[in-house]
Amino acid sequence: MTKYAMIVDLNRCQGCRACMEACKIENNTSEAMFWMYVFRFEEGTYPDTRMSFLPRPCQHCDNAPCVKVCPTGSRFKREDGIVLTDPDRCIGCRYCELACPYGVNYFNWQKPQEAQYAEAIDWSDPDIQDATQGAVPPYKNPALDELWGTEQRRTAGGSHAKGVMEKCTFCVHRVEEGGQPACVETCPVTALRFGDVDDPDTPISRFIREHETWHLLEEAGTEPNVLYVGGKPPSHGYREVERPKARV
Amino acid sequence: MAVVTRRTFVKTGAGALGGAAAAQSFLFGASSPAGAGTPIALQAPVEDVVPTTCWIGKQDCGMLAHRVDGRVIKFEGHPANPRNNGTLCPKGQAQIVSLYDPNRVKWPLVRTNAKGEPGEWRRASWDEALEMTAVAVNEVRERDPSLVLWQKGRSKAKGFYDTAFVKAIGSSKLGHGAYCSDTGYRALEYTIGTHAVLHPDFRYTNFMLSWGWNITNAGGNKFCWLTWPQHMVKARDRGMKIAHIDPRLRSAGPFADEWLPIRPGTDLALALAMCHELIAQDYLDRPYLTAYTNAAFLVKSDGMFAKRTVGEGDEAEDLPLVWDEAVSAAVPFAEAQSPALEGSYDVDGERVTTAFDLFREHVAQYTPEWAADVTGLPAVQIRDVATEFGENAQIGSTIVVDGVEVPYRPVGIMAYHMAQQELGFQALRTMTMVPMLVGAVGAAGGQLSDFTWKIHNNYPKFEKFEVADPPYDFMLNNSKYFPINTGFPGMVAKVMIDPERYGVEDLPEVAILHMVNPLGSFTSQPEFLESYGKFKFVAVISPWLSETADYFADVVLPSATIEKYEGPISATNQYIEATTLRIPPMDPLFESKGEIDIYMDLSEKMGVLFGEGGYLDQVNGALGLEDDLSGFAIPTDRKPTVREIFDTWAKAQGIEEGVAFFEDPQHSVFVKGAMSPTKMYGYVTDPPFGGALHRLYGDSLLDAQRQMQAKGADEIYWQDYTALPTWRAPTMDQSPDEYEFYMISYHMIEHKQSRTSFIPLLAELAPGTRVDINPAAAARLGIEDGDTVTIESHNAVTGETRSMTTTAAFCEGIRPDTVGVPHHFGLWTHPQNEGQGPSPNEIFFTGEGYMAMTADQSFHVKVRISKGGDA
Repeated sequence: MTKYAMIVDLNRCQGCRACMEACKIENNTSEAMFWMYVFRFEEGTYPDTRMSFLPRPCQHCDNAPCVKVCPTGSRFKREDGIVLTDPDRCIGCRYCELACPYGVNYFNWQKPQEAQYAEAIDWSDPDIQDATQGAVPPYKNPALDELWGTEQRRTAGGSHAKGVMEKCTFCVHRVEEGGQPACVETCPVTALRFGDVDDPDTPISRFIREHETWHLLEEAGTEPNVLYVGGKPPSHGYREVERPKARV
Repeated sequence: MAVVTRRTFVKTGAGALGGAAAAQSFLFGASSPAGAGTPIALQAPVEDVVPTTCWIGKQDCGMLAHRVDGRVIKFEGHPANPRNNGTLCPKGQAQIVSLYDPNRVKWPLVRTNAKGEPGEWRRASWDEALEMTAVAVNEVRERDPSLVLWQKGRSKAKGFYDTAFVKAIGSSKLGHGAYCSDTGYRALEYTIGTHAVLHPDFRYTNFMLSWGWNITNAGGNKFCWLTWPQHMVKARDRGMKIAHIDPRLRSAGPFADEWLPIRPGTDLALALAMCHELIAQDYLDRPYLTAYTNAAFLVKSDGMFAKRTVGEGDEAEDLPLVWDEAVSAAVPFAEAQSPALEGSYDVDGERVTTAFDLFREHVAQYTPEWAADVTGLPAVQIRDVATEFGENAQIGSTIVVDGVEVPYRPVGIMAYHMAQQELGFQALRTMTMVPMLVGAVGAAGGQLSDFTWKIHNNYPKFEKFEVADPPYDFMLNNSKYFPINTGFPGMVAKVMIDPERYGVEDLPEVAILHMVNPLGSFTSQPEFLESYGKFKFVAVISPWLSETADYFADVVLPSATIEKYEGPISATNQYIEATTLRIPPMDPLFESKGEIDIYMDLSEKMGVLFGEGGYLDQVNGALGLEDDLSGFAIPTDRKPTVREIFDTWAKAQGIEEGVAFFEDPQHSVFVKGAMSPTKMYGYVTDPPFGGALHRLYGDSLLDAQRQMQAKGADEIYWQDYTALPTWRAPTMDQSPDEYEFYMISYHMIEHKQSRTSFIPLLAELAPGTRVDINPAAAARLGIEDGDTVTIESHNAVTGETRSMTTTAAFCEGIRPDTVGVPHHFGLWTHPQNEGQGPSPNEIFFTGEGYMAMTADQSFHVKVRISKGGDA
């Protein structure tokens, strides 16, 4: 049976945040929301300074605390390992946000069309409306509103409705059609890999056999399906630098 | 033009919502959370893909524009383009927002208020705006076409713009190079003949000096950021080690195996010490130095090469001599059987010494201990890096590449924008000598520069400089100030302000500005504010109302962003040769037009479109279509469409489908194949190294210095024209001690020059300016992380001070005597610019003491920092 996982290769990550940007455009997330987030860290003191980067998507845990606390079944885990949110069942209680040790859940405080960079860009401009048939943002992806998987729910993020939770979906709408998550596809240096780890012959399975892997917050017992290669887990000596305008 | 794919879109048939409600849901998302029902579209949307290329950066990565009903919803990397292999950087992703930005210039604008202040505009027709431009430009052109200035920042179809248009109107031309790494280009053209800076051979290099390379944030020689890191991570997989030489660690991030936090502006000193150490430890490739460089040339006591006249009459040539050990006599280099690399000899009654011996004696003073004082690096670290370089070079070894045996020296340097410093020319020249000493230039795994060994015409030109008397042209070509001259917009501005001082009589009167924003992205701003007001007429061709347009344009001609045909665009990745085109994923938005259309229209208005020497004829020449033998040339008696031009060009390349090949997402990249080792490696090209003898010794530089002195140039201009690279302290070091910090500027991965900070998605990732400061240095000044601080710069030549206010960002990865500021901000015409803060370009200086000997800008200045200021 298919089981999806993602590899984050810290020997390769350049911290460029193209993955954050590809995710944002693919999934039309609102301002300051990043389903994929890349930390840039500094540790040590000059001249014994080290830098590191750490991409952090939803870990799609096998023992997912967010699924356990969800009172409505909106947050659920599929047999293929992907942890998803049904926006039409979410009541916005935010228990998942509290339960998750990784900080990957985002609550929609605003109507999504009001949180699309409106301070800089007037999407109501008639020339733009003509060119985009009124879509906000203009790159709005209709696939997100479709029903996906055997469960037939709007699990690709739906329409980012006000009052509901959202998070990384492993780009379920792309994966269902045989594609890769948007972050994986755009990564210029193949720091991100994705695939079926149940089949021993897939490239990702081979990669895992050939490399030592670790989990973020191993001690939390969440059994993530995001595996890290290279680098080391962040420690208390780490200082985040170059923070974007993001809710983290 | 595109392959249409369809996908089941409507998966359930719940028709509970009416059409209007469904459309609302489709466009904006359901406005209430649970139980709102399932939105549906009434008709399956048409999805398709248009191949195109990125427009933001410099290397034009291949892209696929994914569309729904003709609306572009995403750009993804084109998998078949060797340059980016199906990937995109954050800018490539985010440019979709700028495509749809209603803050673009929508239609031609004509100024209605005075220049030198924020513009007020009226909408004009294309016909009127072009007519105004044509009349203003032609008035000057008819008197003296060289007084028309065509200035570019970025040109994405040089054949159509820099070549064809400039030739058709006969104007002067000014690029951005003096703000780029052009002093490095000049140094390489001088030293090894290639029009390039430095990069290693990532396929084989084992030890790399990342010398000021902003690995994780910026491009390098020839490419943007993306291609080099792709090569680098593969080299890391092989085990390549990196010694990173940079005042900031952030540039290398985790990829520095060793960090040499060098003091800004002292790279020449480090390079000289490396040469010293390589020679001291005898890491020398004597056969290379003897055969392929001028190291064996004999130098007279006056510093010039000993020469002998060979031939008679018009055939007579003065040929440099070497000592031929086979005959124990001085003979012209080309005739020598066994040239001596070392030694002093008596020739024609004069004691002469080999250039190599002079070089060795010269660098004897530059010990690692000496360099430690200058560069701030420990002597042991300098010695160790030189040793590692020498050891890893494996002098004498060879390797077989694609069936060709090539010398193997798996060491190289990556260096690019660090050239922009006062001593940049001699620094890059000396940094090229480091691999020269071990025979790594042009070797497999060694020091590469251009992708091939095409020799630039500056190489022969730099053999003998002819320094002229005034009057000079406004670029100061062949002047006593800059015998090597990159063409420096900042100096042009200074000349326009005070032409007499520089011996200039005629100044440019009108300007056409192409994708360039001197006020926003060049330095220094006071000179541009004063000089650009002197133009009688300025036309700006740009998708955005640039800051320069805001203050100085008479007419703004709105160009399209990505939605146009443009090219041809190289898709090579250094190892694979390929070409592609930019294909419009939609029609130009608003009333904008592609630049090629604009130049055809403008040429028509100016009366230079048709006939021999006209724009269309020049396009044929620029695209290699002029001879018409192939039957493929564009007509010169009627105006073609841009698509038709590219169709003709494509067919001339042997692509039967013409432009349709490039419009088909299944193709769209014309891959010519792997780059042959006999093109890539200088040792095995025919002739070797493209026929250029590498210059270890620069007698023509010394000759230029003497000519400059004879014509009365001040020392500040001639002091660095030396035959052997010679250290001196940078002028900025003469600033008073209270200006205790060096300020450098840097590039962030999220932005490109001054043309992205207004893209909201990128401004979200990298919101505004800051000053990186070491916490220990900040503590002395009572500055905390996040404090508002004032930076005051000082000009050591004029005494002028300038200041800006920004926010302190603590950084343990920067030298305590150095602060760094990103250069992407400081704009004001777009709403997104609000609150982003200033650009360091506001407080750098241009001109004497702050430019290289080749008229290239230095981005170094001494500053003092104080807490507080008006944020």
